Amino acid sequence: MKLNVELTPRSNIPTWMAYGTPVFTILAALIVSGFALFSLGVNPLAAYNIMFVQTLTTSFGITNTLVKAVPLIFAGLAVYLPLKARLWNIGAEGQLIIGAIVGTAVGLSVSLPIYALLPLMFITGGIAGAMWIAVPAWLRARYGINEIITTLLFVFIAQSLLNYVVRGPLQAAESNFPQSASLPTAATLPSIPIIGFPSGVLLAIVLVAVTYAIINYTRLGYEITFMGANDNAAEHAGMSKLKIYLIALMAGGAMAGFAGISEISGVEGRLRASFDPGYGFTAVPIALLGRNGAFRVLLAALFFAVLFIGGSSIETSLGVPSAITNVMEALIILFLITAEFFKNYSVGLSLDQTPTPSAPGDPEGDV
Amino acid sequence: MSGFVTGLANATVNASTVLILAGLGELISERSGVLNLGVEGMMLVGALSGFVVTSITGSPWLGLCIGILAGGAMALLHAFLCVSLNSDQAVSGIMLTLLGVGLTTYFGNPWTGDSVSGFSEVTLPIIGSFLVEIPIIGSALFNSTPTDYIALLLIPVVWLFLYKTNIGLEMISVGEDPETADTMGIDVFKMRYLAVIIGGLFAGAAGAHLSLAFNQIWSSGMTAGNGWIAVALVIFARWEPGRILVGAYLFGLLNAIQLYSQGLKFTLAPETALSGLLNPMIEFVMNPTIMSTYPYIVTLLVLVITVVRAENRQLAQPSALVQSYSREID
Repeated sequence: MKLNVELTPRSNIPTWMAYGTPVFTILAALIVSGFALFSLGVNPLAAYNIMFVQTLTTSFGITNTLVKAVPLIFAGLAVYLPLKARLWNIGAEGQLIIGAIVGTAVGLSVSLPIYALLPLMFITGGIAGAMWIAVPAWLRARYGINEIITTLLFVFIAQSLLNYVVRGPLQAAESNFPQSASLPTAATLPSIPIIGFPSGVLLAIVLVAVTYAIINYTRLGYEITFMGANDNAAEHAGMSKLKIYLIALMAGGAMAGFAGISEISGVEGRLRASFDPGYGFTAVPIALLGRNGAFRVLLAALFFAVLFIGGSSIETSLGVPSAITNVMEALIILFLITAEFFKNYSVGLSLDQTPTPSAPGDPEGDV
Repeated sequence: MSGFVTGLANATVNASTVLILAGLGELISERSGVLNLGVEGMMLVGALSGFVVTSITGSPWLGLCIGILAGGAMALLHAFLCVSLNSDQAVSGIMLTLLGVGLTTYFGNPWTGDSVSGFSEVTLPIIGSFLVEIPIIGSALFNSTPTDYIALLLIPVVWLFLYKTNIGLEMISVGEDPETADTMGIDVFKMRYLAVIIGGLFAGAAGAHLSLAFNQIWSSGMTAGNGWIAVALVIFARWEPGRILVGAYLFGLLNAIQLYSQGLKFTLAPETALSGLLNPMIEFVMNPTIMSTYPYIVTLLVLVITVVRAENRQLAQPSALVQSYSREID
């Protein structure tokens, strides 16, 4: 008896599958983490009620979600954009931290009116993020060194630098804590008048739209996507791999830099050693969920923002360790990559008594 | 001074064991062509499960075994995703780390801060009693926990396994050129499964060593980035088991200096030329936080120097690393 598994690549993906995958993925992750909640004596339904329903039905919850979504949207784009050229920016975390450090340093040391200082902080933060990925980008584009490993190595260097500056050069003079001085008002992202939403949200949405336009309507976007689909063909068509790879990765780095400075300027108000709970790594599943379009990145980032906010809600109200959000995040990636497989292959199972060698002369399956 | 050097040697040897174990495991996995970025997660799961089993049963050996198996179980998931489902190895690895961090923080909560009586230091039997008398490194090397000895022993074992056994050579060939290996009749899928799982067993051992021998406590995130350093270490070692030892001692030494340098100040006398310029620079490079970046910087330099110098030759990296393999279906 032998179990035969037969895989056939799908030529076209059924519509229900394409649209159902994210939904199925999230549901499956919630069901499995339900067991983890249950094992600590927590009713999963009650927990999910607090996590999702309460977060999305109270204005407090919605505002917090939007605030949380800002760095996640930027960071999601930081992984999404290089992914279009089939490059993995696993180190968005590092570029995010460097963007935050440089942006904060500018905000603290330059005195300009708000309409000049904020753009300056974002530009320098973005440039810093782009420079932080420049070496991995160059090594990838010029020498073919795997960008996954090099961008990752730069994350750990960035984390140490953050720890250094908040205890050294940027530490507030009067403070014993590892943190910088508070940013002046001119360096703080204001709330939108009347509705009171943080303006970082608008900025993030604008950047999503810009990314969408670049990818879909410009020559550069076309070249990036082409390079990602088939780099050899793209090179034969006269495109420069070096140029495209550098641009895609460094644009991603700049996005991550925006994520860092937007979090400092819009939420934290000062640089702290622990300001970043790993937005740059959460960006990986966000970009995966949203890999088919910049606006899906936005949706995925919003979903993870709900997860973060809901996770801390159940920690305070039910005493569940908020690490459950890490577990959910991992499960979402797990089911997502599993679903990718079933999207790309149709699986046939058959049991037969004896392995039948195909008879010689059998007509080959010409379909 | 000799007390300082002995202390430094001791700290170096102690800090290196976890890197040797995790690094060897990652090396085996990568030699078969599968990058596993989940080392940190596998280590944490190994550390917690080893700790819990030892707390309950009182047997560190049983704890170690369970920790090893737990690491292997995590790796099995990675192997299934990357080898059977052709998933992206980087994504699956990140998932594994997130899962390990999440699960151990979530379920390890009640044990946080608890201590356990794990492995104690023993002098190596028979020959150890003379060897501990060797100045500076004697007690560091020959008066250690069992897991320290096991780690050192595993370096030649892994070398022999990879280069002198059929399975090891087949694993390497699968990592270099899976298509050819397949036509030669080697089961690519089986080899990669095996290599990834062995890698997980090693990572589990590294984690259990941390919670049962090195620290003998449980705290969430106690691996403190050692899993990532292990990934860097494999690159530093350019995928050779022997160089893992060199790298682990170098990174362990950097780690030890970091701890010991906090009480030390190296400054040039104010009358020395350029002291005004050099002293702040010395202070910066000797800063413990800055020193913690050295393993990564050294790894990057090794990577860059190797490829730039040998542009025409291959980087020692397995040629099929990060490439999934599937048989062509006509």
